[in-house]
Amino acid sequence: MTTPPQSGREPDTHVPAEALMTRFEAPEPGAADATDTTGKGKKASGQLRDIWRRYKRNKLAVVGLVVVAFLMILAILQPWITPYDPMEQNLLNTRKPPSDGHWFGTDVLGRDMFSAIIYGVRLAMIVGWSVMFLSLIVGLALGAVAGFRGGALDSLIMRVTDIVLAFPALIGAILVVQIFGNGIWQVVIALAILSWPTAARLMRGSTLSLRESEYVEAARSIGASDTRIVTRHILPNAIAPTLIYSFSHIGVAVVAMASLAFLGIGVPPDIPEWGTMIANAVPSLNVEGESHMWVFPSLAIVVTTLAFAFVADGLRDSIDPKLR
Amino acid sequence: MARTDSTGSTPDFDLDGQAAPLLEIDDLRVHFKTDHGVVKAVDGVSWHVDEGETLAIVGESGSGKSVSAMSILGLVPTPPATFPSGDIRLRGRSILKMPEKQQRKLRGQEIAMIFQDPLTALNPVFKVGDQIAEMIRTHQDVTKTVARRRVLDLLGEVGIPNPGVRINQYPHEFSGGMRQRAMIAMALANDPKVLLADEPTTALDVTIQAQIMALLEKLRQERNTAIVLITHDLGLVASHADRINVMYAGRIVEAGSCDDVFYRPQHAYTFGLLSSLARMDKQRQDRLLPIKGVPPSLSKVPPGCPFHPRCQFATQGCVEAVPTLETVVTDETMNGGLHRAACIHSDQVEIAYSERLAP
Amino acid sequence: MAKFITRRLAHAVLVIIAATFLIYLGLFVLGDPFASSGEKTVPPEIQEALREKFGMNQPFFMQYLTYLQNMFTFDFGIDFEQRRDVGDMLAAAVPATARLAVIAILIEIVIGLTAGVIAAVSQYTFRDVFITIITTLGIGIPVFVIGIGLRAGLSGEWIFPAVPRSFTVETPWWQEIILPAFTLAILDAAFIARLMRGSMLEVLRADYVRTARAKGLSERKVIGKHAFRNSVIPVVTYTGVSLGVLLGGALITETIFEYQGLGFLLVRAIQQHNNPVIVPIVVFAVLTFVVLSTLVDILYAYLDPRIRLH
Repeated sequence: MTTPPQSGREPDTHVPAEALMTRFEAPEPGAADATDTTGKGKKASGQLRDIWRRYKRNKLAVVGLVVVAFLMILAILQPWITPYDPMEQNLLNTRKPPSDGHWFGTDVLGRDMFSAIIYGVRLAMIVGWSVMFLSLIVGLALGAVAGFRGGALDSLIMRVTDIVLAFPALIGAILVVQIFGNGIWQVVIALAILSWPTAARLMRGSTLSLRESEYVEAARSIGASDTRIVTRHILPNAIAPTLIYSFSHIGVAVVAMASLAFLGIGVPPDIPEWGTMIANAVPSLNVEGESHMWVFPSLAIVVTTLAFAFVADGLRDSIDPKLR
Repeated sequence: MARTDSTGSTPDFDLDGQAAPLLEIDDLRVHFKTDHGVVKAVDGVSWHVDEGETLAIVGESGSGKSVSAMSILGLVPTPPATFPSGDIRLRGRSILKMPEKQQRKLRGQEIAMIFQDPLTALNPVFKVGDQIAEMIRTHQDVTKTVARRRVLDLLGEVGIPNPGVRINQYPHEFSGGMRQRAMIAMALANDPKVLLADEPTTALDVTIQAQIMALLEKLRQERNTAIVLITHDLGLVASHADRINVMYAGRIVEAGSCDDVFYRPQHAYTFGLLSSLARMDKQRQDRLLPIKGVPPSLSKVPPGCPFHPRCQFATQGCVEAVPTLETVVTDETMNGGLHRAACIHSDQVEIAYSERLAP
Repeated sequence: MAKFITRRLAHAVLVIIAATFLIYLGLFVLGDPFASSGEKTVPPEIQEALREKFGMNQPFFMQYLTYLQNMFTFDFGIDFEQRRDVGDMLAAAVPATARLAVIAILIEIVIGLTAGVIAAVSQYTFRDVFITIITTLGIGIPVFVIGIGLRAGLSGEWIFPAVPRSFTVETPWWQEIILPAFTLAILDAAFIARLMRGSMLEVLRADYVRTARAKGLSERKVIGKHAFRNSVIPVVTYTGVSLGVLLGGALITETIFEYQGLGFLLVRAIQQHNNPVIVPIVVFAVLTFVVLSTLVDILYAYLDPRIRLH
């Protein structure tokens, strides 16, 4: 089954083409530093420094990293920095444009939009990172097992991914929420269920190619156990593509939750969530002086997804330049 | 520094007083601007080739041999490449100064090229026959049927069995040797005057190499095509080239007839290449002497003779000035042009080599 | 090639069976689709009729078969809200959704391919940077933000009909489709442009492009025939899969513009707990997605002859 478009990865193009220029140039002295594939602890700090050096070159990625860090701080400090209780209604002061008291104005129920949006940051971070960790753990484990063991177990795991990937993302999430009911954690579960198969496939692919590599042969020939081979030799080297996919999926998960909330599915309507806020603003779309109700949550979501996308791009180019 | 005495605009005359040679490269320089400085891929190179003649250009990768050939076809992208000096002339007409449209007419028509790896050089999504027919129909106003018949003839001519089946197959259905034959058929489609062969056999098995070289030899004799054979493999050219140019770091360091270069090398680099070659024509095998070190980065070519850091004959003189390509006088009669070398120790090289040759 | 197609089709059938079973398991076994939920009370006679139709007093396996049979004979029962035949409701919505999907795909192909090719052939120039910035924004901004922005800015102006729709004014279908189609096309066009740029840049460095130039072909032919044909393959895959998603209903966009398609129908049904409508739309969406993905794989093998061997 073809990977659904929402996975956001460019498929591997098929022709390994050597750059015209490389045929003319003698090897440059710095080119050898990427050849360390043993992933041993001693070299790890050097590798990290190399990754950071390459990462820094991408200005947008650095900006993205600053924004992501800022969002994380907002999310953690939210209870102390929101001027109002984001849930507190004031039916005497609804749909008011931005003012000194309410920087981003108030919504249909008179809640402070600024507080609600900061709360939305916290919610987005919780959901985004939770989905990432869940799908990463499941994907890594099942992908590594499938790739390393092969055989019937591999077929079984791959057929399961086929079936999950047969659901368009939103439809699949709706189905899971229909089964488990509304709630933030139900949404997290739904999004994780839909995103682990791609992670598992990436992991399986890299494990398969590493399983046959000479250094794994060497480890096996000196009697290393399967567990040791997988954890010490395969995981550290196979993990990069899966890690990058999972990270880029944080932004996708945030958008997916907002989309569900916008449609009134999954996310309880009383929780301040960006998609819900935009949905609540729909009747005010063409009303003069009420545009703050959809503009601010839209900006919040755009800034968040772009920041995560920039970081993911930067990581992809710096961790594994070949994936480009 | 290569010979730069010709003015570039007037047609060059050969020693025999004949008119302009078929294809002539004159003091060509191709430089690339990169992050690591200017890469002088070709730095003042001159040579010519005539009908029915095979000129071999020999050098390690990064010596500029491919770039000079690609410049002839206008395949070097500008930027990053620049052409600070030099000219390329076909029958006296400057190709470099021609408008792009006219240049394009020459490509594939007058000058055709065979590439190193026939798997990547053929487009994977088109049938082999269509790719050859495209070559014909780009330059000749013929119908599809006529072109197809021509393709069948060509496939037969280059020794591809079953042309009727092969014409409808895709490149990945061909074996390596068959692909290179198809590539040659494509290059020959318009009966070009010059055939540039860039490492035509490097990607092939040794047994197939010999077949492909024999095929090129046969076509040269039948069609009187001039062949420029670009290779890193001295052994390959021994029995096929009339003349040899040895390139190192973007310059020609030795040029001469096949016999001159093989039996009386005058440049320390040629000496090194020959000494590292196993020879089948000798009773007793000497120890093979590899050239130490690696070719220089073309953005940081050593001063003086670029080969001096790796050279066993090097002296202070080699560091101080770039040796020019000088005519070498040898005892033998000149067959196939002048023997020239850019080495201040050519006497020592010749003596050292004759000692190796001596039984 | 025939063997490849057969294997691919068999695989698709298995996936469809498994996926429909999962849907059945989730909606029928883990939940009772025809029970009252929340504030929704379903009249007992309707519940009874639906239970009968889906054979819910039968054993487990027979139930699944009855459900499958109902799905494939377009016999879905009646909805909770207006007691209309669900099959009729779908029959009205499917053409609207298909029209929207096809037009959106056409727009995104034209814009995406053009932008991608221009960016690739003018790499590192201002044009390339400009297109890269636009595509980054297009991919980064969620569909519903784009849709809301377009609706807030344009609906009711010039030729664009107002939302919510006014039932007293008849609007031609193309006026109604234009904003939702562009909303859908923007994200995918950006994605196609980026995909095309990447694969075109890679193909332009390939040896066979150099061969094409060495043949004396014009730059237009080199790019338009040799480079394009090879670099468009990943785009075909992406577009096909994307069409498969859209044909199942563009939930967000249709909802924003209140466009009467499958997506809007599904979202409203979920909000109203109108379960008889939810089941067939979810099944239909999975079905179109799997079918399109399969077609894309077969098309891929046709476009790239090397695939056919494996």
